[in-house]
Amino acid sequence: MANMKTKFSAIGGNSAGFRLLVVMLGLLSLGGFWSAYMMYLHGHHITGMTNAIPWGFPIVMAVYLIGLSAGSLVLSALSSVFGRTEFKPLARISALLAALLLIGALMCIILDWGRPDRILVPFFSMNPRSMFSLNGMLYSAYIGICFVYLWAMFNNREKLVKLLGYTAVFWAVLVHSGTGAIFGFVGARELYSSPLLPPSFIAAALSSGTALMIMVLYGTFKLTGRALDDELIRRLGLYLAAFIVVVAYLVFIENVTRSYWPGNYAVQKFLLLSGNKYSLIFWIGMIGCGLLFPFVILANPATGKSVKWILFASALVVIGVLAERYIIVIPGQVMPMEMFPGYHIAGPFQDGRVIDYCISPMEILFGAGILSFVFFLYALGLKFFEMMPDKAVIDEGTAGEKK
Amino acid sequence: MSELDRRSLLKMGAAAIAGTVIGNGITLYSASAHAGEEQNASADTALEIPPKGKARWGMVIDNNKCTAQCTACTAACRTENNVPAFGDERYDGHWIRKVTLTPERGGPEKHLPLLCNHCEQPPCQHVCPVAATFTRHDGIVMIDKHRCIGCRYCMIACPYKARTFVFKETTEWTNRDVPKRSHGVVEKCTFCAHRIDQGKIPACVEACDKSGERAMIFGDLNNPESAIVKYIRAVATKGVREDLGLEPKVFYTGI
Ligand code: SF4
Ligand code: SF4
Repeated sequence: MANMKTKFSAIGGNSAGFRLLVVMLGLLSLGGFWSAYMMYLHGHHITGMTNAIPWGFPIVMAVYLIGLSAGSLVLSALSSVFGRTEFKPLARISALLAALLLIGALMCIILDWGRPDRILVPFFSMNPRSMFSLNGMLYSAYIGICFVYLWAMFNNREKLVKLLGYTAVFWAVLVHSGTGAIFGFVGARELYSSPLLPPSFIAAALSSGTALMIMVLYGTFKLTGRALDDELIRRLGLYLAAFIVVVAYLVFIENVTRSYWPGNYAVQKFLLLSGNKYSLIFWIGMIGCGLLFPFVILANPATGKSVKWILFASALVVIGVLAERYIIVIPGQVMPMEMFPGYHIAGPFQDGRVIDYCISPMEILFGAGILSFVFFLYALGLKFFEMMPDKAVIDEGTAGEKK
Repeated sequence: MSELDRRSLLKMGAAAIAGTVIGNGITLYSASAHAGEEQNASADTALEIPPKGKARWGMVIDNNKCTAQCTACTAACRTENNVPAFGDERYDGHWIRKVTLTPERGGPEKHLPLLCNHCEQPPCQHVCPVAATFTRHDGIVMIDKHRCIGCRYCMIACPYKARTFVFKETTEWTNRDVPKRSHGVVEKCTFCAHRIDQGKIPACVEACDKSGERAMIFGDLNNPESAIVKYIRAVATKGVREDLGLEPKVFYTGI
């Protein structure tokens, strides 16, 4: 079955550049942990969160990392599940990254708790009605599946790899539907409550995950001096373009549905037309960077075939989806809740007005630290395990057709 | 019903006589509002505790009586339950807070306290991943401060902003009967469960009575003889955002 006979090896990891990279990532991770410790020590008033905005940037980061993870995993399964054997050399690194990104997401969630020292409580006290509780189980199992999947690949258990590939894809869908449901199932807030959130989470996960993998693959192969076929990047670029279209469709439907109902005019005006930072992030970040510009680049034959342009488009998508996650998590809390229709309400709980949320430096350090930690582990993974293929080139005789 | 009507009429007559003293149109309302209350005046200060699992505690707030300046209930709650005030509206804890409602189409302002509604179908409890939020046998929604991990999902899910997060460590500990909460957990109104267990009405209701406004009635919604049930039968009351279907147990007249 292993028709491409790819050889995997660990990278040397002795160069000065590699060491510098690892040290820098390590330091940034420490910064992240320090900020989490400060939050735990002093309380959350050192972040930008308030009683009106109880969920801030750490949750945005968590949701974002979960999404990136799904994309990587689906890429990893392309060869075993979807029969795209040309992607087989990439399966190990993408499965590794998928597991690490989800670990990062879990860390974001747990370290953002007011009491992260109560880490064991969820294991002894569960609430199956809570989407958080359910997701905890889904995430843990997902990390487990990723590692078993990796193990099976390392030991060339082809049948098991295939089976686990299917399980992983199925599980990724569950995980992302569940994450969307954390917000979508909240009936109390107009901007959260939506049955479309689970599917649009999956779609955005696929687009951002693919985009991240394009960048990571290119970077890893370049830095380790191994050959990566441009054609592989181009094919991933095509997938990316397709995912973008799906995301765009879901975003469109959701916003049209909400805007159509007169009762939602105020909310939609605030989000789309007010010219405040949320509508700027919506239009420039989420729509521009996440959907429009990258799609134009990828669909245009002049740029869509150039690796440099595809990389650029991927970077845009990675930023744009972060903006999308922000738009999902934050504006739903910023808008006042309609408790007394027909009245203007004022009170000591910042009642009845739009409350601004500013990301604090602490939270940026937190997010950047955890992201660095993910890549810190990734770099170590490449050094200590046989993750990297010698090369990833499309063997013209075998690519696409199965023997 | 007819009995109540007769009673209101009598009261109205009395109010009309005393009208010049009490002033403005509120008198009429408060007269009828007292109809149920006075029958069971004793229920105001001491609670009759039904057998376990039988009670459904609830509250009525007559916001025609609630005045703009009065902060009796919020102050009493702060002292009773050690609710932290940091002097920063972003972080202050609120178990009960006074809000001002200005009608968009003009008209007089309304003032009323908001607190946890102890919803019969509490979304805060549904979303709590560790089941730290639970409903007591008598319908009071409580948080186990030793179990809460501080994820704040409940604050997202509560449509009434009835919950606050402890953002900083608090030093003040005015009432030793009620434990303080460490920073990093969520807190909210307990209907003064510790007082109910001693047969006493919540601190806010007591303070409101003492202040003379007497805008709050607390009692057992399951007991047809209780002052609160009689009041609800006699006067139109409404929960906040009843359309959400959470069956709040705090009712208001005049909103
Ligand atoms: S008012 Fe809010 S906190 Fe209180 S029970 Fe209802 S949902 Fe929960
Ligand atoms: S903050 Fe505490 S009470 Fe609220 S959902 Fe989380 S664990 Fe439950």
